[in-house]
Amino acid sequence: MKTSIWLATMAVAAIAALAWFTKQPEIAQAEIATQPSAAQVQMTSQQNSAYTDDGFHSVEVGLSPSARAGREIWFKATAGNERFHTYTFQQRVGVLIDWFRVLRGDQREQRFKTWGLINDPGCCTPGSPNCPAKSREETYGFDWCPGDETLLKFVGKSGYRDPACDFKDAPAESTDPKGHQDGREDACNLAFGTSTGALGFRKFPNPKFDPVAWKKLNGSLGTWEGYDRKISSDPKRNDAKLSHLSDGSIEPPFRIGMACGACHIAFNPAKPPIDPAHPKWENITGLVGNQYIRISEIMVSGMPSDTLEWQVFAHARPGTSDTSAIPTDQINNAGTINALINIAQRPVHDNTQVLRWRKADACSSGAKEHECWCEPNKPGKCWQRSLKTEAVHHILKGGEDSTGAVGAIQRVYFNIGSCAEKCWLNHLTDLRQLDPAARNFGQTPFSLGQCRRDCPNFRAIEDRLHDILAFFLSPESAAIDLQTARANTHPSKAAYGKDDLTADLEQEFGKGAVSRGRTVFAANCARCHSSSKAPAETVDFHALDPKTGLRADWLGNDALSPVSEIGTNRCRALHSNHMQGHVWEEFASENYYARPVEPNIPEQNGGGRGYYRNISLLNLWAHAPFLHNNSVGPELCGGSTGSYDFYRNSYVDASKPGHPTLPFDKSPACWKYDPSVDGRFKLYVASMNDLLNPSQRILKATKLDRDIVLDVGPRVWDGSEEKLVGFSVRIPAGSTAGKVGNFQHKAFIADLIAAKLHPQQLEKNYTTQLGAANAHQLVLAMQDTANAIVQDPGKLVDAIKSARARLPLLGEVYSSCNAEIENDGHRFGEDLSPSDKKALIAFLATL
Amino acid sequence: MRTLPLLMIAAVLPLSGCDYIKNLVTAKPDIFYAAFGEGYAAKPDLAQLEYEHPLSAKELVKVTPQYLDTLSQEQLDQLYARLPAGPIPDGAFDGSIVFPKGSSGKLRLAEILGGLKGLAAQFKGKKLEIIGETLWKGKVFYRDEKVLRNRIEDLTILRPIIGAGEIPKISVDGRDAWLLFPAKLYCGQSLLDSRRESIIIDYAFTDELPGYRERPDSLAGRNGLKVRDEIRMIRPGLYLGRAYLDRAFGLNFILENKTLAKAGEADFLAGKIAQECWSGA
Repeated sequence: MKTSIWLATMAVAAIAALAWFTKQPEIAQAEIATQPSAAQVQMTSQQNSAYTDDGFHSVEVGLSPSARAGREIWFKATAGNERFHTYTFQQRVGVLIDWFRVLRGDQREQRFKTWGLINDPGCCTPGSPNCPAKSREETYGFDWCPGDETLLKFVGKSGYRDPACDFKDAPAESTDPKGHQDGREDACNLAFGTSTGALGFRKFPNPKFDPVAWKKLNGSLGTWEGYDRKISSDPKRNDAKLSHLSDGSIEPPFRIGMACGACHIAFNPAKPPIDPAHPKWENITGLVGNQYIRISEIMVSGMPSDTLEWQVFAHARPGTSDTSAIPTDQINNAGTINALINIAQRPVHDNTQVLRWRKADACSSGAKEHECWCEPNKPGKCWQRSLKTEAVHHILKGGEDSTGAVGAIQRVYFNIGSCAEKCWLNHLTDLRQLDPAARNFGQTPFSLGQCRRDCPNFRAIEDRLHDILAFFLSPESAAIDLQTARANTHPSKAAYGKDDLTADLEQEFGKGAVSRGRTVFAANCARCHSSSKAPAETVDFHALDPKTGLRADWLGNDALSPVSEIGTNRCRALHSNHMQGHVWEEFASENYYARPVEPNIPEQNGGGRGYYRNISLLNLWAHAPFLHNNSVGPELCGGSTGSYDFYRNSYVDASKPGHPTLPFDKSPACWKYDPSVDGRFKLYVASMNDLLNPSQRILKATKLDRDIVLDVGPRVWDGSEEKLVGFSVRIPAGSTAGKVGNFQHKAFIADLIAAKLHPQQLEKNYTTQLGAANAHQLVLAMQDTANAIVQDPGKLVDAIKSARARLPLLGEVYSSCNAEIENDGHRFGEDLSPSDKKALIAFLATL
Repeated sequence: MRTLPLLMIAAVLPLSGCDYIKNLVTAKPDIFYAAFGEGYAAKPDLAQLEYEHPLSAKELVKVTPQYLDTLSQEQLDQLYARLPAGPIPDGAFDGSIVFPKGSSGKLRLAEILGGLKGLAAQFKGKKLEIIGETLWKGKVFYRDEKVLRNRIEDLTILRPIIGAGEIPKISVDGRDAWLLFPAKLYCGQSLLDSRRESIIIDYAFTDELPGYRERPDSLAGRNGLKVRDEIRMIRPGLYLGRAYLDRAFGLNFILENKTLAKAGEADFLAGKIAQECWSGA
């Protein structure tokens, strides 16, 4: 009896425990003939040259061969992740992406407003003037893009030759061992496919596609609507929430992949498009970072809006991404897509102990493969893993990527899904695995050595990382100053110079504001936001480095600051994937592992966690809102409506218990996306005012905007009514989304059982962390909670609420991050006079 | 009250007819299993294990259901991860459940609970096995239709639960069974080992398949217990499977067709077995 009770407890507790945060303390035969014949497609495309890849290459002028190669890889290479984004993520992780919803050609005009995606200038809507494709059936509902004259012939067939096979490699690095120069991996494994119509998102023909089955499901070859249509229109049926997106037997016409550019390609702040839905190549740059993309919503686009996945993840602000959501560390901590500016000037940190793989021409006899490995059939192409002292960049919000720039670039490919199946998916946490002795209960580190050996896509990227770095170091990353932007976008101001900018800024912010702002900056900000070694008072922050021609000062030292000192939302600083024993262990330095514990925050940390790096303020005028989560400044929205309106009001009433969301009419309106120079500048000014006046900020904390209902047990249809054999757990709207995501359900379940079976041991386990008295209280509270759940599982929400109300300490123990407010902290400068604040805003706009 | 037995049937779809071969095969397979520790982090990397200790056809032909019964869950995992998906089967297979032993020799379920109630949990596992043996006889693959149906013992006592109406039957080796719980068959993701695909037996859209009956088939479907099985081939005629309920691992099972085993052995040893699913290459 006892066992069954505890089995039941365990089975329901995972779901039940999510309620923890409900209360604040916080058919038809397909006519194959409708498919275009290869000859038709070929002829049409040859008759039209408006939509080609020429535009993409036209803006390569000025790039070195290596940087050119790097740019093409950055924009197009998926390194084989189309399988991940089509099958693996859905089936193994259980999260559905509705690719048609995101990429459908008939919504090309809305794509930017809805998803923040940037239309590929080389693509066109079938049927539009000069578009090679005349109907959506020809493209299966997608845009027509360069290369589709070939790709479309292979939908449902094997034998597609990827355009990457024709990639023009740059000369190999002369400093590389000869085996590396001669032995680069086949470029086909870069896997370009063709554009989907949204830059960075690539499509591949699915050889398993069955047009007959597809037409039966969708009614037409030109739509995926039957695939994503809800199975039932009866809201009382659970099928009203489900679609065939979860049917793994269905093979769509395309597999969708993602290049790094998916998130990093952006509008050029200095050359914005007249119409964001119709950009030209000159309006696009690859390294600024898309400040409007809703990548979280895209990744959960096939999930109903009342699911845990949607509610917890689809609230990240535009331009932010929780890169540790798929390789989950169970910390809800979306961060901005970092702008890559003036990389040649970015500080490096000496004396960093870096254990990593380095190129070699041979391995000593007897060397073990985990220490040195030579690629078969590639003479002299070896890799040796060794510990050396190096000067490295601090990359990511907490400087977690700390084994060198190419290592950081390499990790991005894992972040976009490359080599998932062969290398790292087996090392992730399975949130449903509750047995601590079973695989995937928690993360384990994946091995770069194993990945190199087993995944050719990895090698294809690795052998060209220096090209990507060359792209990063190219003029593409050069700072884009407001002065240049205004000169570019206002023909009448073609001669708009430094003095003109100063005059305009002083007209807005007061006489002498720019000059005064420099003084204020040197005295108050440069300690963290300057890379110069000289005393700040003597530094010309506009001076150029004669070697690079770039601004010498990077306007940030990339040093680490304890998160308590910055005071901003600490969840991102608690990111744990780079810790020893975790999935990205090999991307962190020994120095990272050895960072001292941050003693001033309640959460367990250490092992590298607890810090933010001091970021660069270069081109701040173009990158508002601010902070690592884009939370300081106006909230942004695309302006789409209905089910495509993803804006979630996060302003809260801090004066009321539980910090409820402010009504819309009491909240500041969101600002529509405006990538124009003026639009960016206005957003900058508003965000700076918000930054420098923290006491006037309306606090933000994203809440669930729908109840999440989790059924425990099967549903039975009796012919008239659907009944749940079991019970439901409801997490009400208004709960803090981040806290739901941060709940450590595995530890909670284990401790529930331990509190009943081994209370003394549990108490002992927590004594060191919490102290004897608190540990005792915790055990008592967990025993009460366990008893209440066993007695009436239907009332478990109340039981948990009650326990947490009695012992708030439970919130600290069973949450990876307890911080709720998203836009607090970074109060530096709040004591400046109003005129000095204006001056600082004026000065920073010049940098 | 009638729902519970139905739920039990659906939950044990992959369970055993337990027609174990009594005569042990002459030689135990020489298959290497890496050492492992108690916690999840102390389990060996599957890619490295396969690189260093790949399975050979010569040893796999020696694998028997009895041999599998001697393995722990981790050893079953290590075996499964090194198997190819093999061809999608065709025809009738007998089914057996594999209850792995934990490091203490108890059923793993008992160990999860900390060892306290080991005996009781073992008893519970045994009950589950008995239900499986009684009700579920195996699976029938309709390869060309990409459909699978389960062989359920046509017990009179179950008729009131299942309801009136004609139920298709199959006779295998002189034993009749109903064909219930249809499922879709396709190549898809393994929930244990991502490095190559498995053959998926998916009940989510069971209601779209010919012969579907609301009772009891829906219980395995997307609004029921969300049963999803995956199998990989040990050798022709013998597949190792893993059953999941709503993507949470439930059971290991084996599917066996002795006729196919004999017919395919020579090709298997010669490395001539087709791989229909993505092999990771």
